Amino acid sequence: MYIYIQGTGCVSPQETAAGNALPATVSPWEGARLKAWEPDYKQWIDVKLIRRMSRVIKMGVAAAKLSLQEAGVEKPDAIITGTAYGCLDDTGVFLSKMINQQEEMLTPTAFIQSTHNTVAGQIALMLGCHGYNNTFVHKAFSFESALLDSMMILREGRLRSILTGAMDELTNHSFNILSRFDIYKKVPVTHEQLLKSDTHGTVAGEGAACFVLGTERGPNTKARLSGLTTLYKPAGKAEISADIDAFMAAHNCSQSEVSLFINGRNGDASGDEWYEHVENTIMAGKPVATFKHLCGEYPTAASFGMWMGCRILAEQQVAAAAMFKGEVPEKFEKILIYNQYKQTHHSLILLSVC
Amino acid sequence: MEKLMAALKAQIVEQLNLQEVKPEDIGDDQPLFKDGLGLDSIDALEIIVLLQQHYGIRIANPEQGPEIFHSVRTIAEFITAHQTAK
Repeated sequence: MYIYIQGTGCVSPQETAAGNALPATVSPWEGARLKAWEPDYKQWIDVKLIRRMSRVIKMGVAAAKLSLQEAGVEKPDAIITGTAYGCLDDTGVFLSKMINQQEEMLTPTAFIQSTHNTVAGQIALMLGCHGYNNTFVHKAFSFESALLDSMMILREGRLRSILTGAMDELTNHSFNILSRFDIYKKVPVTHEQLLKSDTHGTVAGEGAACFVLGTERGPNTKARLSGLTTLYKPAGKAEISADIDAFMAAHNCSQSEVSLFINGRNGDASGDEWYEHVENTIMAGKPVATFKHLCGEYPTAASFGMWMGCRILAEQQVAAAAMFKGEVPEKFEKILIYNQYKQTHHSLILLSVC
Repeated sequence: MEKLMAALKAQIVEQLNLQEVKPEDIGDDQPLFKDGLGLDSIDALEIIVLLQQHYGIRIANPEQGPEIFHSVRTIAEFITAHQTAK
């Protein structure tokens, strides 16, 4: 049974929320933090609901609405999301009030909105969707877990369409805390410098990407989701190579069939060695595109990579801003996406043209 | 009473984050819930906390809620009565 991507939606630091493909030029940025480019949410969300929503909820709902519109689906059979951080802003508001007010007179809104499944729940409430609703909070495998659950459910044949996606926000508090873990660059870089950087650290990012998955190919179908796998803490680069080999073999895909290799280079010298290894061995000679200079680094950034891959297959063109090396192919047949987070969480996604 | 109602309107707009509403848009006798301003049960909880925080008033009998929270004027009257009784 094939699984098709019927619609996509993305809110990111680029103008992706305007719909369609990735803009040809990068929205310029400088520093160690990329903020999402936010659309006018009133086009999708009632103003009475917006007032209670933090940024991540609005981003998630907007990405969901965009993908449903594109797929021509009013109400999916299930909603499955992944998030590593959840609704951080509301969590911060609620915890701050608990401390400042000595646990007295706490208001309900921030608490209600602070749970990790708020986005999936809010989408379900807005759509009146009473089907399966689940949120995976598995750190940097949150998106992949949501995707895997969706694929397994669709393969059971009980449901026809599933809205799946991932979202994570960056708040001032979380950025400050994460900065203390020495994750981000100490010296400011620009979007043009990041991928050429040979220093430690990367840039922080955020965003939401949603997909409508189904088992039937329709007029709006964007791509086929051919495969997905995850690998936790591989022993070394040889293991990731072997894993990619096995993954491609399992999906009857040879190296020569891959039109484009998308990877999660993020400008962190030691992390990028993994991508370089694959680029120079299994994917040697293949054109390479990257996406972290467009969305920043965050645990569910692979969802942005998959959104980009889907758009490339659907439009049969790649934005110059995304190309890292090699010649742009004439046709895009299969795209392999390899992403890793902090060198511990590695994932592979294989997309095929429809 | 007028001063209290003006303060209440500003506090309601701020506490409930009514982005499209200005304090002066809220009528003194306009129903706050359902077809009026369109507030819901979560907003009712927020207003209960607002009364505790700003006026030191606890609603002892929840059944009084619909009557007290009908409009800005009924809330102001409840506050005034409570403060007079102190």
